[in-house]
Amino acid sequence: MITYRDIHKSFDLPVLSGVDMMVETGEMFALFGPSGTGKSVLLKTTIGLMIPDRGDVEIDGLSVYEGGPSALLEVRRKVGYVFQHSALFDSLTVLDNVAMGLPEEVLQRLSTIEKVRRVWEALDIVNLEPKEVLAKIPSELSGGMKKRVGIARAIVGRPEILLWDEPTTGLDPVNTAAVERLIKRLSKELEVTSLLVTHDVEGGLDICDRVAMLDGGTLRFCGTPVEFRACPDPVVQAFVDRAAAEAALDMVTDTYV
Amino acid sequence: MTLPLPAPIVRWLAAVGRVARITAEHAGELGLLSWRIMVAIAQLKVSRHDISTQLYIMGVQSLPIVFVTASLAGIVTSQQGGYQLISSSPQYILGTLVVQSVILELAPLLTAIVLVGRIGARITAELGTMVVSEQIDAFESLGRDPVAILAAPRLIAGVITMPLLVGFADVIGIVAGMIAANIDVGMGTETFIYGARLFWHSWDLVYGLSKSVVFGFAIPLIAVHMGLRTRGGAEGVGLTTTQAVMFMILTILILDAMFPPLLLQ
Repeated sequence: MITYRDIHKSFDLPVLSGVDMMVETGEMFALFGPSGTGKSVLLKTTIGLMIPDRGDVEIDGLSVYEGGPSALLEVRRKVGYVFQHSALFDSLTVLDNVAMGLPEEVLQRLSTIEKVRRVWEALDIVNLEPKEVLAKIPSELSGGMKKRVGIARAIVGRPEILLWDEPTTGLDPVNTAAVERLIKRLSKELEVTSLLVTHDVEGGLDICDRVAMLDGGTLRFCGTPVEFRACPDPVVQAFVDRAAAEAALDMVTDTYV
Repeated sequence: MTLPLPAPIVRWLAAVGRVARITAEHAGELGLLSWRIMVAIAQLKVSRHDISTQLYIMGVQSLPIVFVTASLAGIVTSQQGGYQLISSSPQYILGTLVVQSVILELAPLLTAIVLVGRIGARITAELGTMVVSEQIDAFESLGRDPVAILAAPRLIAGVITMPLLVGFADVIGIVAGMIAANIDVGMGTETFIYGARLFWHSWDLVYGLSKSVVFGFAIPLIAVHMGLRTRGGAEGVGLTTTQAVMFMILTILILDAMFPPLLLQ
């Protein structure tokens, strides 16, 4: 279970102003909101990639910030993070990129054959052909393949929690749908808790158990997809309508342009 | 009742305060980064393979440009020295002038400035790109220490390669100066060497190499620090790289000016 308590974060201006949110163990949770409302910032506070000015994050009842560097390392081992633009290491092959997802001391202990086997398995799970991609470097992969390698890196260490930061950004509709199906399948197969930050509202509503919406640095809505669609709050309604219109426009653009 | 300060003075004070704050911020961050690098080295977290790679990039790949720079520095010093001294001083003084200039100042300073352009800018741009593409965040999310992986090997390689490159530049600069003296003013090798040995102090070599160690520490440290501070996209990387080059050159010149009162008394 991930618990966010009164999270505040400012850069030049306040981004998060007291967010309280809870993601239950094993559930798939989506976080929506207009651009710049701090969705990715909130996600990054989960594993200390950004430190909140105030407030705390707890994972299974243990504070991320109060236990010092060793506790933070433990937290990070439990969590797989899928970055918006994959964040693959440019100079490493797919094999080494994915292997980096294994804890350092595990990686040092593994034989080369075992390392390849673990990476192979992870690539297989994300529907990539290991034989074709293992020796390639990220610049030789397509956008969709990079996303899958990024997902393979996040799952190879068998995490308990998966954090997804806009995993479908920059993908065409076919790849978007494929990645969304993959997210849903992985969350079920690996029995992990998933927190998905996405601008693809329809996709998020389709695959998640619960959703929340951030607006102006605070949580505007939290509930099931059905409740979200029926929410009378005009801000939520306007967001849903705009998201639907943007999705329709994207589809027309992709079809005819 | 106190009178308000005139607006230009308020603006000036605000600018001084801003510069002081930024300077203190950089100094604090550089101190912290140095400490984290030392801890990573002490805990043997730095990969030998990464150090070798950086030694090759900083050392071996820099040899051609250091060769050209040192040769030209030796040649120009010899030519200008010959022009100014030949009618008024004994010929052998030119040997003294070239050797002292190259060892004390030209080789360490010019090699450092070449490395700022070749290595410092590269490190800042590389790390800056890794920041904006979230690769540094990825290292941290995977429980890896980016300082041990990226900063420490570069700093170790800088401290090792810089004195070696400066030693190489010393030899090349002196030989080039000797050849130029022979061609330009017809000075024989014996006369040049006589002049060089007449005022030779071994300490001068230690002095030049000591400077190079400090420069070899400062260049990668500032480059890494600035790279990790990068914000924004491609524009941010460009801006930070430019700032880093200015910062490194200024630091090299200030450090260079601090050496004579410390070590040449």
